[in-house]
Amino acid sequence: MGAKVRVVERKGRTFLEQLYLVEIAKGMFVTLGHFFRNLMDNSRLYVRHYPEVKPEIPSRWRGRHRLTKHDDGTVKCVACFMCQTNCPSNCIMIEAGERHDDKSEKLPIRFDIDLLECIYCGYCVEACPMDAIRMDTGIYSVTSDNRESMVIGLEELLNTPGAFEEQEYQKGAR
Amino acid sequence: MSALDVLMILLRIAFGAFVPLSFVAVLVWMERRGAGFFQDRAGPNRCNFMGFRAAGLIQNLADGVKLIFKEDVVPGHIKHKFYFILAPMLVFFTALLCFAVIPFADVLTIGGRDYVMQAVPMDIGILWFLAIVGFGVYGIILAGWSSHNKYGVLGGLRAAAQVISYEIPMGLALVSLLAIYGTVNLTEMAQYQGQLLFGFIPMWGVFLQPLGVIIFIIAAFAETNRTPFDLAEGESEIVAGFHIEYSAMKFALFFLGEYVAMFVSSALIITLYFGSYQIPWLATETLVAHAKAVVIMLMLVTPVITYFFTGWIKKNNRSHYHRPNDPRVREANVYRVLLWMAVVLLEVVLIGYLIFAAGGAADRIIVALLQVVTFLVKTTMMCFVYIWVRWTLPRFRYDQLQKIGWEKLMPLALLNIFITSAVIVSFG
Repeated sequence: MGAKVRVVERKGRTFLEQLYLVEIAKGMFVTLGHFFRNLMDNSRLYVRHYPEVKPEIPSRWRGRHRLTKHDDGTVKCVACFMCQTNCPSNCIMIEAGERHDDKSEKLPIRFDIDLLECIYCGYCVEACPMDAIRMDTGIYSVTSDNRESMVIGLEELLNTPGAFEEQEYQKGAR
Repeated sequence: MSALDVLMILLRIAFGAFVPLSFVAVLVWMERRGAGFFQDRAGPNRCNFMGFRAAGLIQNLADGVKLIFKEDVVPGHIKHKFYFILAPMLVFFTALLCFAVIPFADVLTIGGRDYVMQAVPMDIGILWFLAIVGFGVYGIILAGWSSHNKYGVLGGLRAAAQVISYEIPMGLALVSLLAIYGTVNLTEMAQYQGQLLFGFIPMWGVFLQPLGVIIFIIAAFAETNRTPFDLAEGESEIVAGFHIEYSAMKFALFFLGEYVAMFVSSALIITLYFGSYQIPWLATETLVAHAKAVVIMLMLVTPVITYFFTGWIKKNNRSHYHRPNDPRVREANVYRVLLWMAVVLLEVVLIGYLIFAAGGAADRIIVALLQVVTFLVKTTMMCFVYIWVRWTLPRFRYDQLQKIGWEKLMPLALLNIFITSAVIVSFG
């Protein structure tokens, strides 16, 4: 295996470069160019005017969680505790109850996620055997002015819709 | 002492005290918006007062209010509270005092009396500056030591070692300059720079001392603890350095002191090397002799500049996303109207001058005002260089910093003295 050797010219050894001032002047004119370009026309800034202009969220983005439902509107989750066991930051707290609609034996009667603890790793989504928990709500900004409201429960998780088409999500997820 | 004397004293002291302070706001604004533009982002431009953002200047107001109302913590482990509180005051006041000897216009002659346009009309000029600026570092060392914190001490020590190393090349660069000017009085230096070299080049220090100006500017950067020599507060190594234990207004005083020092050292660089208040090719006496022509020129030039400036405002002060009934356009319109009103006011004042007051003392006052504006414009440009350098160059390593100071700048400064004195001796 003949490795290709590329000889790179070593910079910074000539007198002018050692003098340092010339190179500083070059660098300063580069930054001055940027300054004047932006000063003369500030529509050319490489920024998004954030709260007004929202970023585009791809379907693979791990946003806030939600719980999915069957077509008839019943909870997909079977309270198997896979996600809770798998969670590296211990932010999921499930309480199981008995289920009577013939879908399975159990269902969650409490499903709390502490969003202050959550690290958005997506392991709960990976672990779920029923595709019951997903992070496809497209919510990337989770803020609050008190700690209590950062713990979201079953109701809110079930009622948040997904932000993407099923097809689009499947393309991104698997 | 006549009423005019008292008025002139008050005016000069007010200028010496309030101009550096108000320039702090301008400099912080320049630094933050400038940094934004250098890095292709916007900088603080959202903060507003009833929809008026004043190009981001309102952000300074918000910052100031925040710093005043924050809790002022003096940590319990500090034994010498007196020195702890003294340190920021020392940094701030020494920075402000340095400006006292810098002339901002030529000697003003009204009613047969001469008024030296410095806050404190003293002859010792540059010596005062060197003495006070050396004293300023005491504040930093004191802050580092009295904080009783290892990062604080390290920051203070770094600042001390750095300032001592760079005072020497700075002083040596000044020696050769003093040999040329033959005086330590800054007003006389500025008057000297109003002459012409070979009849067509303005006799500025930068043309007489091309090597000295580089040494002096580098040393001045180090002296004010600005990038690339801001080792005293290297965030990654020693957190915040000497001001680590300070909060609220005590921290703000360090912050203000740093920017006042930057303004003052820009003013000094201007005074020593870039012709101070002198407009190139137009010495004070020429201006006074042709005061009418100068005023008429001014009346013609101001509307043209304002036209382009308002055009720039109209182009840039708008939202760059879809926004119905854009409030920024309305804001820009208000600014344009205000600007044009200011221009009309200026024109009326100048016409009044031409009709009623031309000749005599009014000429000299107009020329002095023109020189004050020139001085402030030049100083602002030098401050821009400070900011420009900060957002271009990375920081030096500490041993590199000492090496440049002692092994490069000092021999160069000595060589500069040798060359300068040889030229002076041989050509007189």
